[in-house]
Amino acid sequence: MRAVTTASRAQGPFRLTDEHQMLRDAVRVLADDRVAPRAAEIDKTGEFPEDMRRLLADHDILALPFPTEHGGLGGELLSICLAVEQLSRACATTGLILAVQELGSLPITLAGTDEQKERWFPGLASGEQLIAFALTEPEAGSDAAAARTTAKRDGDDYVIDGSKRFISQGSVADLVVVFAVTDPEAPRHQRLSAFVVEVPSDGFAVTRVEHKMGIRGSPTAELAFTDLRVPAANRLGEEGEGWSIAMRTLDRSRPGIAAQAVGIAQGALEAATAYARDRKQFGQRIGDFQLVGGMLADMDAQTEAARQLLYKACVEIDAGAPDASRWSAMCKLVAGDAAMRVTTDAVQVLGGYGYIDEFPVERMMRDAKITQLYEGTQQIQRLVIARTLLGKAD
Amino acid sequence: MAGIWVHGESAADGSLTKLSTEVATLARSVAEQLGGAEVTGVVIGSDPAAAAEELATFVPKVLTVKEPTIADNAAGMIVAQRLAALVEANDPDIVMTGAGPEGRDVAGALSALTGWGVLANATAVRGDGGGAVATHSVFGGKLITESGLTGSKGIVTVRPNAVTAEPAGSAGTVEEVAATGELQQPAVPIVDRLEAETAAAKIDDARIIVAGGRGVGGSDGFGLIQELADALGGAVGATRAAVDSGWIPYSQQIGQTGKIVKPQLYLAMGISGAIQHKVGMQTASTIIAVNRDPDAPIADFADMIVIGDLVEVGNALLAELRARSG
Amino acid sequence: MRIVVLTKPVPDPASGGERLLPDGRLDRANSPAVVNGNDEYVLEKALKLIEAAGEGEVILLTMAPESAPETMRKALAMGATRGVLVTDPAIAGSDAVATTRILAAALKTLDFDLVFAGVDTSDGTAGVVAPGVAALTGLPYLSYAASVDPDEAARKVRVKRITADGYEVLEAPMPALISGTQALGEPRYPSLKGIMAARSKEITTMSLTDLGIDGTSVGLDGATTKVVDSRPPEARGATKVVRDAPDEAARQIVALLAERRII
Repeated sequence: MRAVTTASRAQGPFRLTDEHQMLRDAVRVLADDRVAPRAAEIDKTGEFPEDMRRLLADHDILALPFPTEHGGLGGELLSICLAVEQLSRACATTGLILAVQELGSLPITLAGTDEQKERWFPGLASGEQLIAFALTEPEAGSDAAAARTTAKRDGDDYVIDGSKRFISQGSVADLVVVFAVTDPEAPRHQRLSAFVVEVPSDGFAVTRVEHKMGIRGSPTAELAFTDLRVPAANRLGEEGEGWSIAMRTLDRSRPGIAAQAVGIAQGALEAATAYARDRKQFGQRIGDFQLVGGMLADMDAQTEAARQLLYKACVEIDAGAPDASRWSAMCKLVAGDAAMRVTTDAVQVLGGYGYIDEFPVERMMRDAKITQLYEGTQQIQRLVIARTLLGKAD
Repeated sequence: MAGIWVHGESAADGSLTKLSTEVATLARSVAEQLGGAEVTGVVIGSDPAAAAEELATFVPKVLTVKEPTIADNAAGMIVAQRLAALVEANDPDIVMTGAGPEGRDVAGALSALTGWGVLANATAVRGDGGGAVATHSVFGGKLITESGLTGSKGIVTVRPNAVTAEPAGSAGTVEEVAATGELQQPAVPIVDRLEAETAAAKIDDARIIVAGGRGVGGSDGFGLIQELADALGGAVGATRAAVDSGWIPYSQQIGQTGKIVKPQLYLAMGISGAIQHKVGMQTASTIIAVNRDPDAPIADFADMIVIGDLVEVGNALLAELRARSG
Repeated sequence: MRIVVLTKPVPDPASGGERLLPDGRLDRANSPAVVNGNDEYVLEKALKLIEAAGEGEVILLTMAPESAPETMRKALAMGATRGVLVTDPAIAGSDAVATTRILAAALKTLDFDLVFAGVDTSDGTAGVVAPGVAALTGLPYLSYAASVDPDEAARKVRVKRITADGYEVLEAPMPALISGTQALGEPRYPSLKGIMAARSKEITTMSLTDLGIDGTSVGLDGATTKVVDSRPPEARGATKVVRDAPDEAARQIVALLAERRII
């Protein structure tokens, strides 16, 4: 009999444990008290918030993705996502700091040797060092396998040449995971290898930092590699394993973006609801008009649905579900679309006030858009899901 | 026939506490409901005479025990041991105490020493079916329960303001009883005594309380609260927010982790009425709130809510009260 | 220094779900449990003391249904070292007398310098268990503490006890039992590190057999008190909302006070 759902790996009917709730509440308190007051300014200045990075480091939040034996807290995917969600509810840029720390370090977690983990994890777990994930290139976005950056073996080193574009935190990271072609003749998905580049380094340059629609405090960089030498000991996994490492990374990191999206949506929902309670027109609060109340109801339902799917996806992925890619893609697809819809409606509820920067919803709407674009566009997510449904073409 | 004992507590100056006069009054009505049970007061202290004499105006007979060690040691455990010995010798059925800190310490230790159950924090007590039935407010006031003893013996601790104290028609007798036996529990010496910084009127059994919350804005703001309390002849209370902000001492705090009070009037100035505070005052006979926010939770259970600025309304109320008293 | 902290899981006062079963016991399934508010203050004090000393243990002692480890997690996340849970189906429905006996018996199996307890609990606020445990164990009893100052070298502890007029400063040798109040200081929020570390902290369980207590002498069957009735509180009546200017509002307040013969 064909299963109606594959949601079966994780134990028991799903609920957040007391530990998850404590963790979520601890981050929420921090987000409300220390992060939220900074959010508007971060967006306005477009500067990377060092103070927020310091805050996350001091409170061990950046230690969540790392194993305890390397100074981390050994958090599972759900714990990390709960933290990203709470931070993003206050400030999408700050939530991204944790999400990118997880994204960048996943290749090491998945394919690094014990020695490599020993070398890099302590600095990352303490928050002293930041890590970035450099896969995308000017000519290789959705088609990541078409990367052109090369890594040529030379004695005990590899020499990297090329460029990467749209790299989150690429200009503030201390470590950059670079995917480069080691064998141009190999089949498509075996051409790439993954390397950890320690920055600063001769031959490494940040050539551009983008001016973006949203998440303006997160520097999105173009990186150039010219005769950049990297020791072979910094290669992750085998030659040719790069593509596989990248895909397995995204399977685990996409929930982080879904968490950011759910957080943004929640923040927008709360702002819109508070406004609808206070604002009076025609002698009553506008939330009591059905057209407005109906919008808020939809926003709430969509956010909650995205949230529950995200939490479920996290526990299924952590429990080793064989269709982890599908869970990962689904939660990111649903959450990203929800965030865009909810934030757009939030602006609508506030009317003219929603359009000006005196209120946070216009920023949230600008922030939400990226969740439909990075770590795989919504269209890519759909391809992943369809492929799981239909199986391979004959 | 049941014997009901009333444990009388002494205040620092040696007089009987207001709470004990209420417990004594309550004991008499319970005794009547039980078909005329015997009521006996007990006062145990280093100098129990004054309190005993006063208790004798409420009950027909008072036993006193002079226990010199109470002068310089924590009283609760010592009183409980002496009381346990008396209970064993005289075999009453019910021992009633106040449910303040002193009464609870005594009741808890007495329960352990005698094995008797405790009907605790009673807001009302009646005699029914041969025994005592106590009324309690539980779960932060969400539920009222009544409970009784499964056996024939038990202890009842009684909250302040359960009844209005009423002396009996005639004065009772006072009989001194010698303390017998060694005190087994370790004595805990009092090495120092510190007076409270402010001689604030006690809220525990105040008839009228004027309380300030976050809306008061600062310790200066409590000056108005004090003036109102003085004009009404009441005591000053506060929410936890005000105490945490350092505007007023913890001894004035009302709520879940502070005191639970049952005054005739609770005037809440700038208090939202969140559950943690509500449980401390929701059984007040009359609750009047002054608040800028018409949606504050206190609006749900106050008898009257004045929407306005607490300073303006407070000053207007002061003027009105002073005009009345002329 | 070893400090045992008596903690009790109580229905979350904020949840609104508390209700009684037909036999008068609390329906624990209907409301989520949290650590009793007052216990958190004494726990915080215990944690501060061992932090200041640079060494020591804070041991939680709880008598509760088997599901209690969930509420102990928060206390462990705050920094307690380990937990001891006394649990047994026969305990259900125990009154204060039985609770006191069980906790006293459990304490006899532990080594400690101090025992801390909250002055009362939010789900019964009896305040009689701590003095009862002191009487059964023969420990010096110092109650209503606003401050606790142990001197480990001298094996003594000083407590400022809140009284009606101020404070009594009490002193006792260790080991001693202290009941504490909110005045001991705001409980810390568990850190992320603490929350994650709590998962690997030890909770040992003890049954009534381990304590040598006969099951029929406790629980509902052994109770010395019983609930005979329960009802919702009387509704207060409608709230009069006054929006007038201060002078008129003040007149209305005074009118109500006069009507109710308060002034």
